[in-house]
Amino acid sequence: MKTKMEEKIILAIETSCDETSVAIVKNGEKILSNIIASQIEIHKEYGGIVPEIASRQHMKYILVTCKEALEKAGVSLQEIDGIAVVNGPGLKGSLLVGLSFAKAIAFALNKPLIGVNHIEGHIYANFLDNKKIETPFISLIVSGGHTSLILVEEIGQHKILGSTRDDAAGEVFDKIAKYLDLGYPGGPIIEKIALNGEKNAIIFPRPLTKTSNLDFSFSGLKTAVIYFVREKIKIKEHLQIENICASFQQAVIDTLIHKTLSAANQYNIKNIVIGGGVAANESLRKAMLEAGKLNNIMVYFPSKVLCTDNAAMVGVVGYYKLTKGFSDSFYLDVFTG
Amino acid sequence: MKILGIDTTTDVLNLAITINGVMSFDFMMKREGITHSAIMIPTLKNMLRLTEVKLNELEGIAVSIGPGSFTGLRIGLATAKGLAFSLSIPIAGVNALDSYALQWKELPGILCPIIRARKGEYYFTFYKKRKNNDDLIRIEDYQCIDWFGIKEKLFKFNESIFILGYGLTEIKENNETEQTPKNIHFIIREQEPPGAINVALIGEKKILKKEIDNIFDLSPFYIRKSAAEVKRDNQQNNIFNE
Repeated sequence: MKTKMEEKIILAIETSCDETSVAIVKNGEKILSNIIASQIEIHKEYGGIVPEIASRQHMKYILVTCKEALEKAGVSLQEIDGIAVVNGPGLKGSLLVGLSFAKAIAFALNKPLIGVNHIEGHIYANFLDNKKIETPFISLIVSGGHTSLILVEEIGQHKILGSTRDDAAGEVFDKIAKYLDLGYPGGPIIEKIALNGEKNAIIFPRPLTKTSNLDFSFSGLKTAVIYFVREKIKIKEHLQIENICASFQQAVIDTLIHKTLSAANQYNIKNIVIGGGVAANESLRKAMLEAGKLNNIMVYFPSKVLCTDNAAMVGVVGYYKLTKGFSDSFYLDVFTG
Repeated sequence: MKILGIDTTTDVLNLAITINGVMSFDFMMKREGITHSAIMIPTLKNMLRLTEVKLNELEGIAVSIGPGSFTGLRIGLATAKGLAFSLSIPIAGVNALDSYALQWKELPGILCPIIRARKGEYYFTFYKKRKNNDDLIRIEDYQCIDWFGIKEKLFKFNESIFILGYGLTEIKENNETEQTPKNIHFIIREQEPPGAINVALIGEKKILKKEIDNIFDLSPFYIRKSAAEVKRDNQQNNIFNE
């Protein structure tokens, strides 16, 4: 049993993209509150995220989200042991709202400020649900902004093994959905339509799967889908949207699984930890779990709500950094890429 | 009463502390390639140390809500909200045109501060001095239109009127001609400092008069919609026109 002395409560803030989120997390594993103000409905009208509108929304909701998080957790500001905040990567204007707010609170309360990398947040989101994950593990972070394979040798020790050279996986879902006029965000829409399609109907390319290199590239797949659709339109053939969605999604899933298993094999790792918005895709979850079983590898996913951008995951990283005696100076700035 | 004034509407970070309506410290800083957010708290920390004011002695936060650089003013406002919320002290939002006019309150006539917006438009409004009082009163709404529209409004005044601005060489050069009515004066400087002192002074008056802003509702003074919203609205209008 932990004594009260060891308890650490983190106030965590995430404003890197289009969710304003504040969470209170205890000891890096227990969510006391995790308030998320999503802007998806607003950005839908524009078919994608508009940075200036995202920044305005963060400014509008940051304080009320913070107040709600404290109230729901039943924690006062004075009981907080540290302020963790995402300072990148993400949209500059959006990050600046969260970071400026976090610094002011940390300074006013004389508490440590802990800058957190957004991608690290997605990795450690798994610690909230699964608690015990043995290191070393390979982490696949896959979202609208990122597609990366990371080797985590010990908690806090990360080595990036590969990243996307062009579009992120989630970004390609958005772009294909936009091209087919299906709406925004593309991930959940394509996933739903794909349920009624045949995943092997069209064989789209699985980019970079024939090399041992661990980078991704999805823009070629995107182009292949677009050319396929153009060709069908040209010859006036009926477009089977369901099959296109299912086959496209399968190409992404196959690529992600192939690369992740390849990383696990190359480094002889038996644990795989997935995170990021695309990790909420049910077909990916199933296929990845099956592939893990076949290869005798444990595969972990966070719950779906913790796959999307949220502050609770930031609170986990904040906790581990703080317990290792790490904190940032108030000169901390944002970084975008 | 000790008030912290924050002005991040320009590319200069400006923080000030006033004590009972008197300037105690005024600090300005500009560093290329670094955000206001990076130097805000270190600057504040130093300022408090030099003025020997303790953070918990502050009785209010006054913050410029613009118009100005959108990113800049969000950094100022997010900081102000974080401080006021954590310290449980009132917050007062101050319009940048108000604080700008106050710098020139000694001038005998109507004051018309102008701040450049985008696409050939300017933020502006008009102020005059209250009789028997030092205070300025705003006599029109805050507006954002092009120079020709502003000129039309200027020509309606008979009394002396002072155009206050910085960097607005396009306006000064084209209008300081013989045809310009004699009652219109241009005070346009290359670089006008931001006005954290005046923000703090106006904020103090607001707080003393209990005109405290709701900390949750206070937002930047954008006047203009974002470019994406304008484009969307235009598209929607086109649909109706068809």
